[in-house]
Amino acid sequence: MNRVGAAAAVSIAIFAVAAPFFLKPFGIFMISMWAVLAIAAMGLNLTLGYAGQVSLAQGAFVGIGAYAVALLTQAGYPFVLAFAAAGGLCFAVGWILGYPALRVQHHYLAFVTLAFTTLVFLVLRNEEWLTNGIYGINGIARPAFFGWSTRPAPNFYFFSLGTLAVLSIATWWMLRSPWGRAFVALRENPIRALSLGLDTRRYTLMAFAIGSGLGGLAGGLYAPLVQFIEPSSFALGMSFNLLLMVIVGGSGYFFGPFVGALIAVLLPEWMRIAQGYYLIVYAALVIVMMAFCPSGILGLIDRVSKVVLRSRPTAAALGPRGSAQGSVHEHGP
Amino acid sequence: MSTVLEVSNLRKSFGGIAAVDGVSFEVVEGEILGIIGPNGSGKSTLFNCVLGQLRPNDGDVRIDGRRTTGMRPCDLNRLGVSRTFQLLQVFPQLTVRDNLILAGQEHQGSMLSRLIGPADAGLGEAADRMIAFFRLSHRADELAGALSYGQQKLLDVAMAFMAGPRLVLLDEPAGGVNLTLLSHLRERLQAYHVERKATFVVIEHQMEFVMALCTRVLVLAEGRIIAEGAPQEIRRDPKVIEAYLGH
Repeated sequence: MNRVGAAAAVSIAIFAVAAPFFLKPFGIFMISMWAVLAIAAMGLNLTLGYAGQVSLAQGAFVGIGAYAVALLTQAGYPFVLAFAAAGGLCFAVGWILGYPALRVQHHYLAFVTLAFTTLVFLVLRNEEWLTNGIYGINGIARPAFFGWSTRPAPNFYFFSLGTLAVLSIATWWMLRSPWGRAFVALRENPIRALSLGLDTRRYTLMAFAIGSGLGGLAGGLYAPLVQFIEPSSFALGMSFNLLLMVIVGGSGYFFGPFVGALIAVLLPEWMRIAQGYYLIVYAALVIVMMAFCPSGILGLIDRVSKVVLRSRPTAAALGPRGSAQGSVHEHGP
Repeated sequence: MSTVLEVSNLRKSFGGIAAVDGVSFEVVEGEILGIIGPNGSGKSTLFNCVLGQLRPNDGDVRIDGRRTTGMRPCDLNRLGVSRTFQLLQVFPQLTVRDNLILAGQEHQGSMLSRLIGPADAGLGEAADRMIAFFRLSHRADELAGALSYGQQKLLDVAMAFMAGPRLVLLDEPAGGVNLTLLSHLRERLQAYHVERKATFVVIEHQMEFVMALCTRVLVLAEGRIIAEGAPQEIRRDPKVIEAYLGH
């Protein structure tokens, strides 16, 4: 990470910790939602932004994780176990879903994952004996740890934020390791990667599985956050919304999903002032942004900073797109 | 000297057209074998069959006596077989150093150790040595995509050597390279060959390059070997002249 990136990370961290002290309960709920969805978007960024595998299934994994935690905690299992099971289950399902990616790519793969999302939605809606169907599951309890309850909104926010921090550090570590380099190679030129000894099959499955696992963990926090879940929350809309977060924030930039989730969660709320027109204005803003800045917000900042600095085109100067030794391998489209 | 690569009666067809039609040859340790032939003679298809990119219809490939026909390229690479492609194949969004570390990292430890171990997989110094060997030190931290075509070509070849391979197959290494860089590339290949005692198989159109580098030459035409011998003999062979000039 370059100095600008480090400064931005510290500023965001301070802001994130201080925010609930200045917000009303609904505001705290919204930033909790940001922390939860940022985890899911981070998982999608790994699959899509780094490894180059198009997925429209991330919302389904959030759903699987949410239902796993809801069902297991209501069956009496401790939250920690249910949360781990949500991540583990989605990791396993994601691994299996990765197999089509070994045969098809790009929009064909998008359709495979889209079909998976529809399948998950139908299972959640129709298998009433397990999921309670369209009535959903309510009364999902927020966990307590050694007497510290996360029932109050600020406490649950800090719990979500802490989980986001831990998972972000773990993801950062992975991306700066040879695995991160392998994911980038997989995205850029899988045939060359294969000839250099990279088991592209294993790395593709791993990228899918880890991204899906993060989606499941996000679902594990989503259920106790909203305390009521039903199938339509995890239909295609959520997958598209998570994709929007990754693309708007900056696909392949480590902090892209954080920025994207912030925009996708908060902007519609701020724009409610426009009443019935807010979705139209929101959609127009997204269209304009994609037309003029397809590399997302961080891609735009990257480009502007390069122009301002007028530096020579070294990797260091190219910021997050470069990958000097020990750095995270990032790119822009 | 032992046989490193043994190809027996290899055949590969696309539809009704035999791209490689019963090719057999051996490459012994320390040899630099050149494979030449007009466009469409089956050279790259032969490479791709040997290296697992294509599955041959018939025939056998053995490396150090072990049957490797149909083996995946990544598994072949771990056996010490490396290659370059006809077209440039560097990773433009990675730095020069990261390209080289990537080229060697899968030979270091296990999948798990590559996750929890050092970011450079313990290859930082080896990568710097390879960068210096190919005289790219001044551009080590730049993105590969920012290098000139010739420098990317050098990086491409350096990546093939990064894991210390026993057998290197180079597909048109001189393609699109200017004369100055060509002589530099040939000199580096010869230096590596002497230093590491590696075995090379080189597909090339640039005859001067082949004559200066290779110890033996095979000529392919229409998927078959039509001549084989020392470079100077091949140059005078009427069958070769006919295959190239078409009369």
